[in-house]
Amino acid sequence: MLKVEQLTFTQPGQSLSYVYDLEVAPGEIVVVTGVSGAGKSTLLDLIAGFLSPTDGSLSLNETDLLPLPPEKRPLSILFQEDNLFEHLSVAKNLALALTANQGQENERILEALNEVGLGGYGPRRASNLSGGQKQRVALARTLLRNRPVLLLDEPFASLDEKTARDMRALVRCLTDTKQWHTLIVSHAKEDARQLADRLYSLCEGRLNPEVLQVQDPKINRWTPMRPPRATRQGHH
Amino acid sequence: MLGIFLAVSRVDIPVSSNSLQPDITHLVRMSLIQAALTTFLSLSVGIALAWALNRLRFFGRPLVVSLFATAIVAPAIVVALGMIAVWGRAGWINQLLAIFSLGWNGSIFGLHGILFAHTILNGAFAAHILLARLQTIPAQKLKTGQSLALSPLRRFLVLDWPVISGALPSLGAIIFLLAFTSFPIVLILGGGPANQTLEVAIYSYVRLSFDLRAALSLALVQLVFCLIIVLPALLATPSLASSGTTRQFHWPDTKGATIAQWAILTLALAGFGLPLLAVLVNGIGPGLFPVLTQNRFWQATITSLSIGAISAFVTLVLALGLTTSRNSFSSPLMRAALALPAFAYLVIPALVLSLGFFLSVRALQIAPSNAAPLVLVLANALLALPFAISVLAPALDAINKRYAKTARSLGLSGFARWRMLEWPLMGREVGIVLAFGFCFSLGDLGVIALFGTSEFSTLPWLMFRALGAYRTNDAAAIASVLLLLTLIVFWALPPLMEKLSHAKS
Repeated sequence: MLKVEQLTFTQPGQSLSYVYDLEVAPGEIVVVTGVSGAGKSTLLDLIAGFLSPTDGSLSLNETDLLPLPPEKRPLSILFQEDNLFEHLSVAKNLALALTANQGQENERILEALNEVGLGGYGPRRASNLSGGQKQRVALARTLLRNRPVLLLDEPFASLDEKTARDMRALVRCLTDTKQWHTLIVSHAKEDARQLADRLYSLCEGRLNPEVLQVQDPKINRWTPMRPPRATRQGHH
Repeated sequence: MLGIFLAVSRVDIPVSSNSLQPDITHLVRMSLIQAALTTFLSLSVGIALAWALNRLRFFGRPLVVSLFATAIVAPAIVVALGMIAVWGRAGWINQLLAIFSLGWNGSIFGLHGILFAHTILNGAFAAHILLARLQTIPAQKLKTGQSLALSPLRRFLVLDWPVISGALPSLGAIIFLLAFTSFPIVLILGGGPANQTLEVAIYSYVRLSFDLRAALSLALVQLVFCLIIVLPALLATPSLASSGTTRQFHWPDTKGATIAQWAILTLALAGFGLPLLAVLVNGIGPGLFPVLTQNRFWQATITSLSIGAISAFVTLVLALGLTTSRNSFSSPLMRAALALPAFAYLVIPALVLSLGFFLSVRALQIAPSNAAPLVLVLANALLALPFAISVLAPALDAINKRYAKTARSLGLSGFARWRMLEWPLMGREVGIVLAFGFCFSLGDLGVIALFGTSEFSTLPWLMFRALGAYRTNDAAAIASVLLLLTLIVFWALPPLMEKLSHAKS
């Protein structure tokens, strides 16, 4: 279980403090929504270690993560853009996730690309990919890194609706099969409707639990893709 | 240039019977070797220093960064004097070694002295440009790299090198050009004819033997070499400007890399900062007061300040005129054609331009001393033009991209558009251009070298004459005044103009 408890951050020169409390279970997707500037990305920066909190705790399966530098934390992070180094090939971008002694580099890269539906894209230059393909390559890299926590910062914001829907399905599928703890921050309602097992809204520096509402059967076409929440919770 | 072409077509150019024919092969070889070595060393130092400054965070970092930024405007004659004050026989290093009963018998004069001075000046300039490029790397890319635990070497290759390498051809071309046409440093630190370059030889043939034909042939050779070597590189990557900075995200390197970065920064500060410090320490003291009582010092100061201020204004008007007319064309060919005349001044050495004006003035039968103020203003404004355009063009392009349609729909054009839109958003850039124009003119020795007399003098010319007459105290005092004026203007003008533009908006 990823636990964020009273994790506090105050921007220098600002009076408002952000205080975050939430939990993410294995195989669960938690979505945090909020308007621009509400502090969504700050939450991810704190968890990833790019910012240091002034107070509170952060743990994964009872292991304190706060003393660890970003590169040592057991997580992968994906942004809206700039996840890939565009002058490198897809394969080289993925190879950055592998340490030198892991061996069978090519096979593992190919396997990861197959898993996100981009087998054969290895030699292509990252700059020649579409927005959706770039995000899938970035997801393939998280597969290779094999870290138990996945943080997504507005990951589908720059994609068209069909591509975004495919990506959401992929994130859902990977979270289920890999039992990742997935935390998404997004201002898109679709992300919450289609992906969230639990939903929070961020307002005035505090996370407020929201009730998931099934509003329109058409919007919820994804529902059959995932087992009912109660069943999944029963697994853990 | 017209003057040079006029002179080429005339046969009555003075030829001195006493002067030796120039050894063009030797001069070209020396100029090329010196410029090539300077370029290689300066780029290496620039990359290392930019890398260190990009990674390190410490109290006073902005001051250190802006100190290195002054390299482009620091008067070369002042730096040369500072080098002698630190590394000369009676310099700081030898004084320090004497405490430990040690001594350094080497000389700062010669090719190594020229290379050292060029490398600290151009290395600092390169570092400033490359640091600006490194700061454009998006924070998200840095965060991705850090979460992937990239090693310092991998980080440099994957993240830094792609943004740095794009700037190297044009940066290398500019440094090559600055070194190829360098005048005061080669003149003062060259140590004799063996290390003479084309630029210094042109000066010698005009000022010392008045052999204008020899000077003209050297100027043409120099122009041809500048064009052949530099234009392809500039055309391949014409802009050094980086597209804004991103919000700063700091990702420190490993301990080993951090130690290396501190070592690089310390060496660079010693190399660049010590000569400047020496100029200030040696100049501001008891030796300053006798200079302040000299009438010629105040005359030179007033001339320098007046010419600098007018040059700065002319540079701004010319640069604004060219960049705004460039922006009114959508065709890339027309835009390039309008920018080309300005960038052409990059390949025209100051002394060659000065020679062109000198010959034009003679052809028009005007006494050089009468034409000198106008020539100095115009020549220095033209020489600053490429740098001014490289500052203004990206800012204007960004404003155009963002607001062109809105401005057009509101009917904003001409002066109204400038007052409402461009001036409030470009105050800092306007300040930088004015500072460039002023400082280039203030530190100029290339143009004044052919027009300066005992009656018409600027501060660098007065300093040069004091050095020639072995009045080293006077030279040190003038150097400190020159350096202080340069630093104050370069540091104060951009924020001042930014503030003024915001106050007006």
